[in-house]
Amino acid sequence: MQKFNGMQDFDFTTRLGDLILKNPVITSSGTYGFGEEYTDYCSPAYLGAITVKGITPLPRLGNPVPRLAETPSGLLNSVGLENPGLEDFLRSYLPKLSNLHTAVIVNISGFSLEDYALLASALQDYASPNNSTNITSNSSGIAALEVNISCPNIKHGGMAFGTNPKNAEEVIAVVRKNTNLPIIAKLSPNVTDIAEMAKAVESGGADIISLINTLLGMSIDIQTQKPILANKMGGLSGPAVRPVAVRMVYQVYQAVPLPIIGMGGLTTWQDAVEFMLAGASAVSVGTANFLNPLAPLEILSGLEEYCTQRGYNSIRKLVGLAHRTC
Amino acid sequence: MYLQERVVENRLIGYPDQGIYKLVLYGQVAKSAKPGQFVHIQVSDTYDPLLRRPLSIAGIDQDREEVTIYYRVAGKGTDLLTRISVNEQVSALGPLGTGFTIPHTGELLLIAGGIGVFPLYSLIQVLSTAKVSVKLLWGGENQEFLESADFNYLKYLGVDYEVSTLDGSLGYQGLVTDLLEKELKTSKTPTGKEIKSARLLRAAACGPRGMLKAVTAICLKNDIPVEVSLEERMACGIGACLGCVCTVRGKDGNLKRKRVCKEGPVFDGEEVAWDAEV
Ligand SMILES: Cc1cc2nc3c(=O)[nH]c(=O)nc-3n(C[C@H](O)[C@H](O)[C@H](O)COP(=O)(O)OP(=O)(O)OC[C@H]3O[C@@H](n4cnc5c(N)ncnc54)[C@H](O)[C@@H]3O)c2cc1C
Ligand SMILES: Cc1cc2nc3c(=O)[nH]c(=O)nc-3n(C[C@H](O)[C@H](O)[C@H](O)COP(=O)(O)O)c2cc1C
Repeated sequence: MQKFNGMQDFDFTTRLGDLILKNPVITSSGTYGFGEEYTDYCSPAYLGAITVKGITPLPRLGNPVPRLAETPSGLLNSVGLENPGLEDFLRSYLPKLSNLHTAVIVNISGFSLEDYALLASALQDYASPNNSTNITSNSSGIAALEVNISCPNIKHGGMAFGTNPKNAEEVIAVVRKNTNLPIIAKLSPNVTDIAEMAKAVESGGADIISLINTLLGMSIDIQTQKPILANKMGGLSGPAVRPVAVRMVYQVYQAVPLPIIGMGGLTTWQDAVEFMLAGASAVSVGTANFLNPLAPLEILSGLEEYCTQRGYNSIRKLVGLAHRTC
Repeated sequence: MYLQERVVENRLIGYPDQGIYKLVLYGQVAKSAKPGQFVHIQVSDTYDPLLRRPLSIAGIDQDREEVTIYYRVAGKGTDLLTRISVNEQVSALGPLGTGFTIPHTGELLLIAGGIGVFPLYSLIQVLSTAKVSVKLLWGGENQEFLESADFNYLKYLGVDYEVSTLDGSLGYQGLVTDLLEKELKTSKTPTGKEIKSARLLRAAACGPRGMLKAVTAICLKNDIPVEVSLEERMACGIGACLGCVCTVRGKDGNLKRKRVCKEGPVFDGEEVAWDAEV
């Protein structure tokens, strides 16, 4: 197993409001299982945090296969939120997650406001003892909730919560009412005005913003003349989406004062630098784990080298530098 | 494990238009590889194609620390793989997945469709043929295909076999499932008495999904437990992304998903929900 030995005098501590991580490298929901899958390759203890697969109140089988299609530098997926459901997550997965010595972010998904309320209040009982001076990973339990608002809202004809500012604000407000945990609002890129969405989740009470979720896409097999995914449409991730993600991080940084977790096609340390320059205080690695399970570690050492070469003694110095006017 | 394996051999075998290659890797995979497991290989230095490619372990040589893989060029990824030269390093995750059950007594019937024979080669290789009697039924398109998929190696392994081709160019003309039906009939009544005790007979199969479904139905009808090795599009290969699931029916009758890369690729044929479209 690969090790990460950071330099003594470099300060990797990452502050996302009250959520304090030992470093800015996180792994993304749906790409890192429940943390255990990667332990043979990369110890989660080296990571700032891991984000678990999206949890819904009840277990879900998800979509039929094929669930994956490769596109140029990208991956379409239609897993369809397959997950064990809240009860089994708490019973079978959360106890093991607490042994991984990293901060655990639980990603929650729902199809109604009630779903989100239920998840937020149930998970509140497992909050890691938090105070805003310590690095969260040193204690067990849940460090933060990441609210996936890209799910279809059954009451609004299946339109995603995250594509309408009013609905997005409502979801976050419901979660806020039911938890004291730091709330990360995860924005969908499938909108015209991302800044407007950022402001909406800020008024809803979000503490942190993460972006981007996948871009809705499709791929058709020209031999069979049918969509490749059984679900026909899926979410695009991977290097193909990175410029869109960087642009959105940049815009959100200008629109709201909340700390940002940047993701979307982030594959190398250079990509991580780019996201941080655009305004991300932390970065999250998703699809890149599939290509290279050591990607998060390589990103950490690359970030450190980039900073020290430029005389920055702290990772926080990088954040938002691309916004300088002179 | 995340490994760099050295390429010992990577060459076309058989007829060029069959596009079948033999790849031998030297390194750590061989140390713990089991029949039915696979390796997840990085075929490109760029993002095109983006994902690794899963390939079955077809031969294991623990002393020489080598595994053998056979692959058929199917698209861009496998085509790029053909360009990797001897002595180059490839990035491999593996051995991955759960392999075949290895019986120590009785009889094992193996049923292969097309390139599905490859993982079965390693199963035959590790079986103690002194204690387990093995017979392989293998169906392919035509003689050129079978020869290109290292038919000679099968003969060298020295097990009992029968082949079928769609065009009759080699062996029986028809489907391998016909061979299976015949085999089960003859094995029960060659001279009137049963020579095969159904209780000691097991089966293992690999091939296209339609064939595996038919094989499972035939085996179960004859009370023969059967393991099948399934294929699915994969991303991570280690159970994290839930891209490659297979639908199974639990003991409680409810449908469940299992991950082909982790709980599989080998499944009990009886648990697979062959017709589930959920
Ligand atoms: C566990 C496992 C073990 C395997 N073992 C072997 C092996 O030993 N030898 C071998 O030759 N092949 C094996 N395969 C298949 C092999 O992985 C694929 O042929 C290969 O990934 C194709 O990559 P490509 O880039 O060349 O083709 P692509 O361009 O990716 O695909 C070529 C064509 O095949 C289709 N396709 C690709 N993958 C799949 C899939 N999983 N199911 C259905 N259609 C698909 C594509 O849509 C396209 O039409 C195995 C697959 C799995 C899951
Ligand atoms: C297979 C897969 C499953 C995913 N599942 C979830 C999920 O359950 N919840 C969620 O909020 N995002 C999910 N995502 C989105 C990722 O967390 C991430 O936002 C997106 O993939 C963009 O980052 P990337 O290009 O680095 O992968 C998933 C992505 C992939 C590829």
